[in-house]
Formats: sequence, C-alpha cells, structure tokens
Amino acid sequence: MTKVFRITILIILFFTVQSESLLSAAPNDDNTVDVVSKVLDHYYVDFSPVGKVELPRFFYDAEGFHFFGSTTAAINSETFTDEIYLEEDEPEGAKLKPVTYHVVRTDNQPILFDFSITSHLLFFWFSALLTLAIFIPLTRRYKAGQGTKSEPQGAFHNLFETFVVFVRDDIAKPNIGHNYIRFTPYLLTVFFLILFMNLFGLMPWGVSSTADITVTAVLALMTFMITQLSASKDYWKHIFWFPGVPFYIRLILFPVEFIGIFTKPFSLAIRLFANMASGKILIFSILGIIFVFNNLFGSAVAYASSPIWILMTLFVYLIKAFIAFIQAYVFTILSALFIGMAMVEHDEIHETENI
Amino acid sequence: MELAYLAAGLGAGLVSIGAGIGIGMIGKGAMEGTARQPEASNDIRTSMLISAAFIEGVALFGQVVCIILAFS
Repeated sequence: MTKVFRITILIILFFTVQSESLLSAAPNDDNTVDVVSKVLDHYYVDFSPVGKVELPRFFYDAEGFHFFGSTTAAINSETFTDEIYLEEDEPEGAKLKPVTYHVVRTDNQPILFDFSITSHLLFFWFSALLTLAIFIPLTRRYKAGQGTKSEPQGAFHNLFETFVVFVRDDIAKPNIGHNYIRFTPYLLTVFFLILFMNLFGLMPWGVSSTADITVTAVLALMTFMITQLSASKDYWKHIFWFPGVPFYIRLILFPVEFIGIFTKPFSLAIRLFANMASGKILIFSILGIIFVFNNLFGSAVAYASSPIWILMTLFVYLIKAFIAFIQAYVFTILSALFIGMAMVEHDEIHETENI
Repeated sequence: MELAYLAAGLGAGLVSIGAGIGIGMIGKGAMEGTARQPEASNDIRTSMLISAAFIEGVALFGQVVCIILAFS
C-alpha cells in the first residue's frame, strides 16, 4: 500500500506509460487508489461510479485502415485483441472485456499507426470548440460595429473583451514591441486554449489535456516555429557570432546560445505539463492519506482525520484554479517574450558594442 | 536500486530548497520595490512572474532528473 503510494506520487505521465507492472498491478488490488492513472491518457472517459465510456479506436496497418466504435468492439473483432488475451486461452464465443486497453493484432503483425481518440485528445477538442464557440460570435459582433462604434453589451461580451484587451495590452504590447498586432491572434488563441484545457481539469470527471507532455510540447513547438520564423538578422548574429566580445568568448557563447534556442520551448512545455500534472496528483495524494491512515491506525483515526484532508484538498483545488489562470498567463507572456527577444533590431540594444 | 530512491528524494528536496530560496528572493525584491514605488507595481508584478517562471523552469528540470532517477 505505502509502496504503491511512494511510487505513484513521484511519477509523472510519460515515464509510466510503458511501466507495465504498475499499470497492471493497480486496478486489481483492493484499497488501492491509482493516483497516476488520473493524469494518464486513456482510451476511455471515466465517469467513475457510473462507468466508463470507451472512445473510438482507429488503426492503420499493412492491411489499411481499421475503425472501431470502442475498444470492446476492437478486441472482439478477429483481427485485434487485448494484449493479455494473446497468451491465455479464453472460452470461444464469450464477450471479451478490455483490461490493459493495449490493443495488438492477433497474428502479431505490428500496428503501424494508432490514431485512436484518447481522453486528452477529446478534451483538447472540447477546449478548441469552446474557444471557437466563444470567439466566432464575438468577432461577428465586432464586425457589426458593436464594441467598436458602440459599447459592448452584456456580461459575456464584457468579460471576454476584458481578457482580450488584457492579452493585447499587458502581454503582447510591452513584450513584443511595435509589431505586436501580428502576433496577438496567436497569443490570444494559446491563452484561451490553455485556460480552457486547464479549467476542464477542475470539472467533475474532467481531464486537463495540458497534463500531457505531447499537448504542451506541440504548443511549445508552435511558439518555437513562430520565434524562429519571425527572428531578425541580429538574433541569428547573436547566436552564431556574438558581437562586441573577444574571440574566445565567442567560441564559448556559440554553444550556449545555440542550446538556448531549444531550452526555451522545452522549458515552456515542461513547466505547463508539470504544473498541471502535479496539481491533480497532489489532490489524490492528500485524499489518499485517509486510506494510508486506515491501513496504519485503523478506521477510527481515518474517519476522525478525514475532515482535515478534505479541507486541504479543497485548498489545493482552489490553488489549482488559480494556477490554471497563472499558467495560461505565464505560457502566453513567455511566448510573447521569446518572440519579442528574437525580433529586437540592431540599434535598439547596441550601446555597449563600442566599449 | 534503493539508493536511487534515496537520491531522487534528496534531489527533489534540494531542488525545492533552491527554487524556494530563489522565488522567495524575487518576492522580497518585488515587495520592497512595490512598497517604495507603488505606482510601478504593475510592471514589477509582470517581471516578478516572468523571473519566477524562469526559476520554476530550472527547478522542474531538476525534478524531471529526480523522476528519471527514481524509475531508471
């Protein structure tokens, strides 16, 4: 019990996806709360006391595309099965249930691409749709003149205008500089997408897609591409041949600056991912203390101390709601900062060159 | 293997100490700055968050190393 906890508290998503022992050991034991599976990506959406809704599976292999409505349908087909049913002999005709959700071909041919919809992807789509559903009507209003020629009407319009003006005036303008209006659409998109993804994690049964390294890595890759493509000549000059310093220092500075190109988006991705993943792990770990106390000291202590842990969980939950906004803000402002740093022109920074 | 857990735990603690000191010093500087010049508080808050985010990034790199250590 305590060992499972020691392991589960420490792990973050992508190191455990391949960890077979942990994934297979956890669900079968009684009294075990699998903390890490709450932030892992699944092929189902967990509506916990009610049941699971399996998501469609979509494979591409040597025979072409295969589409199944759910994992159960996939493993009951003749071509695919769950990994654990390969070794065991199951009675013929019985309906198999997915256990590991790791689908393989029955003839052991490799599945080339697995395009299956996962819970993180589903909630990513929800956030994207929500962003579109909010901003397309808003754009129509502005095109019709409401908000530009007249006052914004209603709570919905006013609320989001506040956010948009905040991103434009407090994030884009001071950090990017004179050409900021070109990048404001990207920054707004990233801000609201990350915000909605973070907030979906606070809802019951919700999953925050930003607790997945692939989602944050793709977002950071976008910032990386925009930074490199909009970079000025001086940006590259400062990386490859730093002006105004002696020759040997240039040799030292070149690798440092070159690695710096890649560490910036890397830290963007890791920061968002670790913050969102750790919040949920923390909540379940604190709730798990009740179960640890139950094992160590008996049920009376567990019952008596549970209000403390539930209040602490509430506190962490409120912190997490705050972090959802802070991390969306930090990702956006750092993106703006990196873009702005890459766009700085020569004469704006070079008073020191002649010293 | 057991020593790797110990190293990961100690490393996570040390990283937290470093990040705590760093972010604490940023908070101290920001508070002093705001107290001396309240009209600059918005600019100070923005740069405080940016610096804190950078320190947090370094700390998270350290935590990732500890996690790799615990599961290698």
